Amino acid sequence: MEIIGEKINGTRKRVARAIAERDADFIRDLARNQAEAGAAWLDVNAGTHPKQEPDDLIWLVENVQAAADTPLCLDSANPQALAVAMEAVDKTPMINSISGEPERLEGILPLVTEHGCRVIALAMDATKIPETSAARVAVIHKVMEATRAADVPDECVYVDPLVMTIGTNVQSGRIFLDTLRAVREAYPTVRFTAGLSNISFGLPARSFINRAFLTLALGAGLDSAILDPTDRELRATLRAAELVLGRDNHCLNYTRAYRAGLFDELDKG
Amino acid sequence: MSKKLVNAIADMREEEALKLVKEMIEGDSDPMAILDDAREAMDIVGKRYEEGSYFLPELILAGEMLNQITDILKPKLAKLPEVKRHGKVLIGTVEGDIHDIGKNIVTFMLDVNGFDVLDLGVDVPPQKFVEAVEDFQPQVIGLSGFLTLAFDTMKETVEAIQAAGLRDQVKIMVGGGQMDDQVRAHTGADAYGRDAMAAVKLAKDWIGA
Repeated sequence: MEIIGEKINGTRKRVARAIAERDADFIRDLARNQAEAGAAWLDVNAGTHPKQEPDDLIWLVENVQAAADTPLCLDSANPQALAVAMEAVDKTPMINSISGEPERLEGILPLVTEHGCRVIALAMDATKIPETSAARVAVIHKVMEATRAADVPDECVYVDPLVMTIGTNVQSGRIFLDTLRAVREAYPTVRFTAGLSNISFGLPARSFINRAFLTLALGAGLDSAILDPTDRELRATLRAAELVLGRDNHCLNYTRAYRAGLFDELDKG
Repeated sequence: MSKKLVNAIADMREEEALKLVKEMIEGDSDPMAILDDAREAMDIVGKRYEEGSYFLPELILAGEMLNQITDILKPKLAKLPEVKRHGKVLIGTVEGDIHDIGKNIVTFMLDVNGFDVLDLGVDVPPQKFVEAVEDFQPQVIGLSGFLTLAFDTMKETVEAIQAAGLRDQVKIMVGGGQMDDQVRAHTGADAYGRDAMAAVKLAKDWIGA
């Protein structure tokens, strides 16, 4: 499974400060730590308002690339910011994200086609996250119609069924899993991703919920997740779950992770 | 006062609480007294949330119980009682943002702390805030938003309230996501808060409750 490192995000207070103060060392450390922890992609979100966003995003891209070879996941709803950031990247990035919102599809899909990017597709309309799995699948049908019309191969689309907190709706986990399974049935070659930790917002002992959810989502076919790769317990769970699902040839990812110390002090025998 | 009812609600025993309310109504209890019990229980729930022993799901269940109890009592009440309230707060997530969890918690905590709260929901355009200020006449407005984008629509909302000549009659607080005094200054609000209790404290200070 591919980990998309979540930490370089301007909606986090400390990162917002680093962006405002142009604190390059802080950003580079975040990039390096996540890359060393095994992130396949590094999400980069400036989180600033549209006028400022292109400059901030380019500054982030340059500094992240100075610290890590990992490809980027450009996180913005703003086509202008994405277009300029696209000129600054060394490796073909992923774009985060499109949705059922027509303006977003029209503004962002041409970039995806032109650069041959992968793209995250959220199962939501302009302002609403559908409550039911069926309604979310309907949005994805609309999005897939647009991506296919734009000649984006299905396997370059990472569908995000959207994780809502269980704290406000106990069915949130099931709605996610049902949506994932239904979309997978309709589009066997698309991939899936998710912002994992939303699931436990507002609840205590969140790490246990996150780990249980990750395991179940992997079982349902999750291919990637936006999470904190420096969270060792989560990564240990990930390795173990993939092993159990038969996705780890000769158990090598698991035993290598063990030898690298991933399970040190975590394993209770 | 029925200690049993207060405890049933506060301890999240929904079925028992509703059964007690129905029994009390059949036994000719004063519906007003039942409402007072429910309020007291909400107060306990709010305190437990602040202390960290209750969480988001308990707040939501408490809100649902209160709604159901009000529904049972409504036919028994000539009119809904004018519970003595400190004042009125208008709240909503500003245009362009649909995050509502924080706003809902603030609404709940203001409500249990004795404020009349009108919640306009999410993605609320500035003009809708202006109209609601005219109709509802709140003393305090809470603008919520998680996205950085929301800071600009908060500013536009404050400006719209100003342009309508209503700015002097309200105090405006902003909250959600990352908040600091720089953001507050940008939006033109009077104050910012980091959590639901901060919102309650601001409203109390402003209204003098």
